[in-house]
Amino acid sequence: MHFFDRIAKIDRRIIFLLIGLAVIIPLIAPLGLPVDITAPVKSVYDRIEAMPEGSIVVVSIDYDPGSEAELYPATLAFLDHCFRKNHKVYMMGLWAPGITLGNIAFQEIAPKYNKEYGIDYINVGYKPGGAVMLLTLGRNVADVVATDYQGLPIDSFPLGRMVKNSRDMDLVMTFSAGDPGILHWIIYFNARFGTPIAGATTAISAPRQYPYLSSGQLLGLLGGLKGAAEYETLVGRVDRATAGMDSQSIAHVVIVLFIIMGNIILVWEHRRKK
Amino acid sequence: MCISLFDMFLIFLILVKGISVNAYDTPNDDGSSVTVSWESDIPYSSILILRSEQKDGVFEPICEARVGRNDYQDTLIVRGTFYYYQIKAMTDEGEIISAITGPTVASVQVFNTGRLNIFVAIIILFAAILFYISRAKREKLFIRKIPALAAMDEAIGRATEMGKPVLYVPGIMDIDDPQTIASMSILAKVAEKTAAYGTTLYVPTARAMAMSMAQQVVKEAATKVGRPDWYIADNIRYLTDDQFGYVSGVDGIMLREKPATNFYLGVFYAESLILAETGHSTGAIQIAGTAMPDQLPFFVAACDYTLLGEELYAASAYLSQEPVQLGSLKGQDLGKLIFIFVILAGVIAGIVGFQGFYNLFISVH
Amino acid sequence: MKRTLPLTIVLGCGIFMLIAFFVPVRWFQDASQTLQTWYLGVIAFFVFIGIFNLVRINVLKIQHKRRDWQFSIFLLIFLAGMLLAGFIGGPDGTVFLYLFQHFQIPLSATMFSLLAFFVASAAFRAFRARNPEATLLLIAAVLVMIGRVPIGVWIWKGFPSLVEWIMSVPNTAAKRGIIFGIDLGLISMALRVILGIERSYMGGKD
Repeated sequence: MHFFDRIAKIDRRIIFLLIGLAVIIPLIAPLGLPVDITAPVKSVYDRIEAMPEGSIVVVSIDYDPGSEAELYPATLAFLDHCFRKNHKVYMMGLWAPGITLGNIAFQEIAPKYNKEYGIDYINVGYKPGGAVMLLTLGRNVADVVATDYQGLPIDSFPLGRMVKNSRDMDLVMTFSAGDPGILHWIIYFNARFGTPIAGATTAISAPRQYPYLSSGQLLGLLGGLKGAAEYETLVGRVDRATAGMDSQSIAHVVIVLFIIMGNIILVWEHRRKK
Repeated sequence: MCISLFDMFLIFLILVKGISVNAYDTPNDDGSSVTVSWESDIPYSSILILRSEQKDGVFEPICEARVGRNDYQDTLIVRGTFYYYQIKAMTDEGEIISAITGPTVASVQVFNTGRLNIFVAIIILFAAILFYISRAKREKLFIRKIPALAAMDEAIGRATEMGKPVLYVPGIMDIDDPQTIASMSILAKVAEKTAAYGTTLYVPTARAMAMSMAQQVVKEAATKVGRPDWYIADNIRYLTDDQFGYVSGVDGIMLREKPATNFYLGVFYAESLILAETGHSTGAIQIAGTAMPDQLPFFVAACDYTLLGEELYAASAYLSQEPVQLGSLKGQDLGKLIFIFVILAGVIAGIVGFQGFYNLFISVH
Repeated sequence: MKRTLPLTIVLGCGIFMLIAFFVPVRWFQDASQTLQTWYLGVIAFFVFIGIFNLVRINVLKIQHKRRDWQFSIFLLIFLAGMLLAGFIGGPDGTVFLYLFQHFQIPLSATMFSLLAFFVASAAFRAFRARNPEATLLLIAAVLVMIGRVPIGVWIWKGFPSLVEWIMSVPNTAAKRGIIFGIDLGLISMALRVILGIERSYMGGKD
């Protein structure tokens, strides 16, 4: 059998093995490739930097454990930045599993800055209802949020009392893996109430948000693990996302080589037919 | 008492610079609020909004606004009551009180004029659709061939000949999503054919309501073709709401049951390629369709046929060939043509710098 | 009656919700809100129906010892365990958190990570320059894949700018066109459903 015939009929598992090695080896032996900063990520960073101390940032955890690898590092980096700038974080979630992930993030970051629950940050829990809930939230938070995620009355917390409607929210940052997510916030919150929306999303969904970036409906975007790595670089936090960039780089190169090989086979097959 | 030159300078500053306040009925609401807005020449550390029902009455504080804000929506009003407002700001030079503004009363707006442009667009679109629906009743309308739908019969026939089942995945969202409804419409047609041929049909769902609807659709389809005995409720089952739990379950069904034909029609996210690649590895013919722009490339790469975006919504009309439904497709196309002309007009307006055209499409909150 | 009543409800609710979008009057908004709250209540109820269906199918599988019935035992044990852990300890309970962090998260992440392998095998199999459009797509895909990761910057400093241009201009233009078409199709289908022209999702005779 000709060499190209063998390659054309290659067992998928060999492709999987090569991809596995492309991801694992750089984790063991990092290359230290520099992370460049793109404009959509810088926009989010600049906004947090520019907001006056004490601004209220609504953080919406709209992802589940499946997307944790891409979005959790972005969550950590963003919370780190917010707490460093002494902004208040009002967390909620349009996805039920997101609340636990959000709490884990708080447990990791808040003690570092001596932030106190109920004063500097709060988690009001999972809010189902998508569009309906967001429209109600913007008009009157009390109609949607009666307690925090533990079931304690929201008014028993100073931060809980501060947020009454959309005008009390200085920025909404949504970490979104799908639906409901960024688009819901843009369509039902930004369009209705004018609150600026920024987002972090998985790499697959990032291209879809560019029209909204271009029109200004989305203030900024952290796309995939790369976006998270860029934000970590901006806030000076070398963590999982930055560590994953070398692996992602090599994996992308390997996939491109597969594509090139596939097209060489295509050309060879055409010539053979002639 | 003597006033120093410095004090006179400060008083002059306060008189020249200050806070201007304006109160007005909040536009496009249900008459439940008044908006108070202010502008200040002097930096302030706090703003207190005061309100009274009499111009010379006692002004009570109703809210302390946060620094950086320059408006407040007063929802603590009694409908039909006139109010006067005043602002008290704390600055480095001391307390500054604005002039009194008012009287202002909140009133109901029957129509949200901020959405007038959306209203006009909907009227135009509906008119186009209804026009072609009425025209479809009088004459035959041409609809181009959609390869994915034309291949459905062949795909189901293949499964029947091989003695293998058909797998239908209606997406991972619930029936409130229009794509799921469109998918259920196609499921009805697929179920009719598989029931008529006696081919097993599996429909795993990620939402309980979608499961109930799918069961109803498949059962009715079996009854319609005279094969009520073919229907097995347990073949249409709920797996889990969890995205990757669901895809694990569907992959398991594919690897165990080895269906000859896979349909992926509805809302899909990251699991689209996992499903399509696993299906490909089992040798199934695959027909996909979704209106999720991010997932279309994966389906196009990994499946044999793909319904692209709006073709999913058109599928039911295409398969039924009902004149009225086909008419709505033509109306939709006319709407698209109108939007193309609007976009071109917008491009020209942008080039010549005519901002007015752009302002027509801004939505007011 | 079997079909007339649901179609009437669909027509009434559809038109009402459409009007409520444009009319800010309190009664309309409250009624619209109530309808949507009822829908949430129906969804909550159906969660139980889904769980009941899942349990019933797996219990029957165990009872009749159908193929791979042993896995159904595991499913039911973990379903019950997670439910109990959540009800007893709450979302912050030790057992629930342990199961969530050490089972749920890694398992979901593992399934998601399959994408990396499947993208590679799909790319090898399907990304072929069979015609000019496919060639253009191929070139754009390769540029974006390399330009979006740090190695792209290492190869050529202009890569990120080129990729940002591809994402901001051709990609955005194409996405806008697709989204316009999809949304128009959605409006057309919604109108067909509201007017009762589209009925096949209800099953039965047309």
